[in-house]
Amino acid sequence: MEEVINDYISQELVKDAALLPISNLTSLLDTGILDSLSLLRLVNYVEGRFGIVVHDVDLVPEHFASVDAICACLRARTWETASQAGGHE
Amino acid sequence: MSEAATKLAARPRGRRLGWAGRVGRRLLRRAEGVAYWLAVAPLAARLPASLAYRVACWRGDGDFLYSEGKRSEIVRNLRGVLGDELSPEEAERLARDVFRFLSCEAIDVMRLRGRARSLGSLVDIRGREHLDAALAGGKGAILCSAHFGSHMSVFSLLHASGFPLTTIGRWHWNYTPGLSSAQRRFWDLVYARRVLRHRQRPNIEPWPGRVQVAVQAAAALRANEVVTICSDAPPLDADRTRAMEVPFLGRQARLLPGVVTLARLTGAPVLMASVHRLADYRHQVLEISPPVPVPARGETATAFAHCVAAMDAAIRTSPAHWFFWFKTDDLASLGLLPAAPPAGTPAVSPQPAVGEPAALLEDRRSASVHRGGQHGQHEGHGSGARVQDDQADREEWPAMA
Repeated sequence: MEEVINDYISQELVKDAALLPISNLTSLLDTGILDSLSLLRLVNYVEGRFGIVVHDVDLVPEHFASVDAICACLRARTWETASQAGGHE
Repeated sequence: MSEAATKLAARPRGRRLGWAGRVGRRLLRRAEGVAYWLAVAPLAARLPASLAYRVACWRGDGDFLYSEGKRSEIVRNLRGVLGDELSPEEAERLARDVFRFLSCEAIDVMRLRGRARSLGSLVDIRGREHLDAALAGGKGAILCSAHFGSHMSVFSLLHASGFPLTTIGRWHWNYTPGLSSAQRRFWDLVYARRVLRHRQRPNIEPWPGRVQVAVQAAAALRANEVVTICSDAPPLDADRTRAMEVPFLGRQARLLPGVVTLARLTGAPVLMASVHRLADYRHQVLEISPPVPVPARGETATAFAHCVAAMDAAIRTSPAHWFFWFKTDDLASLGLLPAAPPAGTPAVSPQPAVGEPAALLEDRRSASVHRGGQHGQHEGHGSGARVQDDQADREEWPAMA
């Protein structure tokens, strides 16, 4: 997951080549890689790629601070979704 | 009434106020602003519309007469941007209308009570079919406007008439440093609370660090709602790199093309909206355009230029409806006026006080810049006393609305 998201951000969202390569710990907000509109693109991508719905409550800067933070948030969301699906069965 | 006000305003002032006089006048205006919003406007709004808006015009004329500094700033900005299109007399007349419209807006807001029928009976919504057609596509609709006319009240009316609507915009009093909690609460009470009663969601407030704005807007659009956005605001410092130069009011202005990017990312159509008040001051027209062409790919500038051209046309048709005439620093920031003069020019307190019309309007940039330092340079403002007097006027501009 980290690699997929890192690749997407590196290829689609980083406008300043001097910032490449980005590590999974690079601050995406402080470096200006993520702004409001690029976050929307990222969320659209993640939802399509991993079949996850990102809710309003997930939209806090800490969850998008770095690739690692994004993946941690997505894993928690995936786990929750899976638990809920399991609970319904 | 109108001619008399314009003539009276043209008379030179007989004497300059001392420090105590200026402070007294400032306090008086502040009190007047509070009284207008808390008592006069709510009561007047219950009168028959013709009388209610006449009261607002009287109040606007009074402010036009007594806010000498702000009045001259508006006239100067109108002529600075629109140039020779405006004679001095025409600019004075438009400045008077700016004051009147701001006072009328308070009546509009008060008439949003209940199901907003008392305002609804005064507003003709044209182009509703375009909005219906856009929403039939299932991807929501973006309604793009300038800070023009009583747009916030009329957007509330649009929601009350059956279109689920959310606004991207910030209540500037929540972000302006130095405002007291009492001032914030005041504007929440008299303005935001009334407007937000007729919204699908709370305002989506863009501000540096609030990266979730576009995603929240996209969520509203996915729910097939209407999202409104004003695209004529000067970019915040943090957004300057994203600003784009586009032809606007005869110059290359720096504006943020976020509306086009949002439309592309969500597939939502963009419709232009403009609100203008008719000659009787009480009736208004909201005009909604057919969708603006925003190709899925291609030059953002071309697509955004369509939006800006629509705002430009609305402002040129009825300049007094535009909000930014009394914001010299914002006009400079947009690239419509020369940049603020160097240090040493008298600066004005960046803190709007209770009653400031700016506080009525969302989507305001930080007030941490000096406002309208050109005052000291302008002809007719040679004496220090006069500059100080103007400065007091501008600090007290708040009281106008």
